[in-house]
Amino acid sequence: MSENKNSTCNEKVFDNFFKSHAKLLRNYLYYKFGDLDQAEDLVQESFIKLWNNCAKVPIDKAKSYIYTLATNQGISIARHQQVKFRYENYITQRKSDLTNETPEFIILEKEYMEKLKNAIADLPERQREVFLLSRIDKKTYREIAELSNVSIKAIEKLMHKALVTLRKKIGNI
Amino acid sequence: MLDDKKDDIFLSRWINDELSPEELREFQSHPEYKYYMKIITGADALDLRDYNIDMALDTIKTKNDHVQDKTTKPIIKLWPYAAAAASIAIIIGLFIFTSTDTTFTTAHGEQLAVLLPDGSEMILNAKSDASFNKKNWDSNRTVSLHGEAYFKVKKGSKFTVTTTNGNVSVLGTQFNVQSQGSYFEAVCYEGKVKVTHNKDSKVLTAGKAYRNIKNVTPEYWTFTDQEPSWIHNISSFRSVPLYYVFNKLEQQYNINIETNGIDTAVIYTGTFPNNNKEVALKTVFSTLGIQYQISEDNKTVVLEK
Repeated sequence: MSENKNSTCNEKVFDNFFKSHAKLLRNYLYYKFGDLDQAEDLVQESFIKLWNNCAKVPIDKAKSYIYTLATNQGISIARHQQVKFRYENYITQRKSDLTNETPEFIILEKEYMEKLKNAIADLPERQREVFLLSRIDKKTYREIAELSNVSIKAIEKLMHKALVTLRKKIGNI
Repeated sequence: MLDDKKDDIFLSRWINDELSPEELREFQSHPEYKYYMKIITGADALDLRDYNIDMALDTIKTKNDHVQDKTTKPIIKLWPYAAAAASIAIIIGLFIFTSTDTTFTTAHGEQLAVLLPDGSEMILNAKSDASFNKKNWDSNRTVSLHGEAYFKVKKGSKFTVTTTNGNVSVLGTQFNVQSQGSYFEAVCYEGKVKVTHNKDSKVLTAGKAYRNIKNVTPEYWTFTDQEPSWIHNISSFRSVPLYYVFNKLEQQYNINIETNGIDTAVIYTGTFPNNNKEVALKTVFSTLGIQYQISEDNKTVVLEK
């Protein structure tokens, strides 16, 4: 029965499931708890548990299974050690053709980007989560709402708030 | 719109292109528009560190095998029924644990690369020994070290190097530990390591090093090397008392240095090769202005003032 085509225990099913969900879960956990290395460990642990319990968890329940598992684990770690949201070495910049710009502009941009990352790190957790899922992972409000089990309206409000908070923090530069 | 307290999703709608043409036009002429535009342009240029999905999946599979190994030994769980049986288990356990300590030793002038059970690497420098427990490596990554070794640690549980002088535990990946006599040095090449010495504890990030020599105040410094020089057969020293340099020479070339009253507390900075005795002796002693003679059996170096 474990060799069933749709069973989580089927290696192919498991692999495909991992490939389509691992990255978003990792990013989601990072936005939530602020440490990308830790997020990758959490992903690893939760998928190992899923595999060990594959007979009990049908594939259509697997997503909420790993999200719940990893989030709870993250919360219990966060309870013991308060981690500030870290972005050095984690958040990079998409390659763009800035080469045509003057050096002054590039320096200004660099300064601005630092300020922006800093402001994002200081956002309240929920605002940061929504903002980054939308901007970095390009998720729609609907997709984000499904991830955290709230209404689309709530996500839109958080997004609006995140922008206002960032705007205040960055100031007029 | 923006200042309207009731429209608390205005900016969300703007990003999603859901504003009506009039709303958009009005917003674009608002003084705040350019600041918000800059935030969104900046944020859209952000990305995360790459995630190697295939590698991550591989790791999960290899870890899985370990878990399954464990589940094939359910007999042990039935034992606690009888106290006597349990104590036998403990005795056997102790026997297994103590007898499975794996030890690696290097002789004079030798280097040894050791692959640890989880794929981490340890390179031992001359005249050093290291031991670890293969059996419970998964749950307890601890290496006990006398001498000097360079470590490249795979991600996983805490990795600790214990020495008689202090402990170095790893939060990251590549580091060098040296513990000889009362000389204790930890150098971090990548990631982060935590050093504890007596009651002192300090986290070293990449490019930082810590040293504690008896009678000298503990030192921290930064450097730019990618690997310890001895990997490339060069011993290098940075302001260390001369007797440690002599010690290293003795370890590398299996010789005995007779100092004849020369002040070995002098601070020395320099390097010598680990694969050419003539050159090594010449480099060290000529820079110090010390004459020396080698005994006939090639084992003793006698220094002259």
